[in-house]
Amino acid sequence: MNYSYPDILVETQWVEENKNNDQIRIVESNEDVLLYDTGHLEGAVHIDWRADLQDQVQRDYIDVSGFAELCSRNGITPDTTCLFYGDKSNWWAAYALWVFRLFGHDKVKLMNGGRDKWMSEGRALTREVPQFAKTEYPVPVSRKDDEIRAFYADTLAHSNARKPLIDVRSPGEYSGEVTHMPEYPQEGVLRGGHVPGASSVPWKEAVNEDGTFKSAEELDQIYNVGCSLKPDDDIVAYCRIGERSSHTWFVLTYLLGYKNVRNYDGSWTEWGNMVRAPIERS
Amino acid sequence: MSYPARLQSIIDLFESLPDQAKRENLIAMADSAKKFEPQEGQTYTLEDVRKDEECTDTVGIYLTVQDQSQCNFHVSLGPQVQTLTRAMTSILCKGLDGLSPDEIMEIPADFVPKIVGADLVRQRSQTTYYVLSRMKGVCKVWLNRKRAAESESNSS
Repeated sequence: MNYSYPDILVETQWVEENKNNDQIRIVESNEDVLLYDTGHLEGAVHIDWRADLQDQVQRDYIDVSGFAELCSRNGITPDTTCLFYGDKSNWWAAYALWVFRLFGHDKVKLMNGGRDKWMSEGRALTREVPQFAKTEYPVPVSRKDDEIRAFYADTLAHSNARKPLIDVRSPGEYSGEVTHMPEYPQEGVLRGGHVPGASSVPWKEAVNEDGTFKSAEELDQIYNVGCSLKPDDDIVAYCRIGERSSHTWFVLTYLLGYKNVRNYDGSWTEWGNMVRAPIERS
Repeated sequence: MSYPARLQSIIDLFESLPDQAKRENLIAMADSAKKFEPQEGQTYTLEDVRKDEECTDTVGIYLTVQDQSQCNFHVSLGPQVQTLTRAMTSILCKGLDGLSPDEIMEIPADFVPKIVGADLVRQRSQTTYYVLSRMKGVCKVWLNRKRAAESESNSS
């Protein structure tokens, strides 16, 4: 059994060999806000999940003009393959990749194992920030919120209809025992628990110790056999603010080939604070 | 609000910097966190090394109190600790050096965004405040022990 879209996932050695390919733009996206500045892959640009991808006033993503401008200043054209990597087993790289897909930029790849794997192999980093000529990236017609993104109302309808909902947070967050991620401070959520009907499949189940993805057979065992998800199911995944669920969205969409997966990026920081949102605890 | 002189001078420096220079100085501070690692063979007045639930890695606080009033900190940071937290460690080790435990307990945390810049203090970078709270925790233990010893001494 192979990954459904094996070309999307590339190994560190492949990146080493292709880092100077001008059809590829390497993009680092991290949780650690200063990590890129401490050293990054040669030729990699930095796209920050908060400063670059999100609207700076309301909780939403940049608009189509903002996305075109972001691509333009990073030397990206619609034909550029954006190759994402980052810290935390690629949480934010998967998140950035998902946001690029929101705007219809489909030429994307993810470096398996992310930044930690690259470093563990002793590969080079540089502090030199690359400069690329500004491009003319056409403003996308729309942001495809209705295709791969779910909002609160969508998720509530999904819950009421008992359609497949995947909670990818840690077991303690799912059960309502804690309202913060393990190893993180509380980030402002008022209630603990999960969306009624959601299954608990922590994101971490999809990766090996080194942050690389498990094999297609192992992933199939987790999501298909273990969670009864089928490739044509209408699936919504959520976590706390949408980055861990982007990781699971990537697994289901690209590695297992599920056709209809949406990421509820409002996730638990919206649901757990919403007045009268139904909550299950277990 | 005025802060202790050394900390105030660091705050003044960062507040005067444009964003890019601020980032560069924070990276330099993060790089210099190694200078404040505990020294092998050195003994400290108090050591508090632990991995808390809300932090990504182990952080050790090593306090020396000279002449019952002057604090000096060394800090060990696990490899998963964020860059911003490393930078804040250097800043605190420099900025709080020589202060008394009582003075450290009174320092409000509101200087953090002045140094780091409000844009960088956000979700997933809140551990920037963590090292200060750990340093205060060690000072509190030291003060409690001192008061207990004084109370015991007065009653005997």
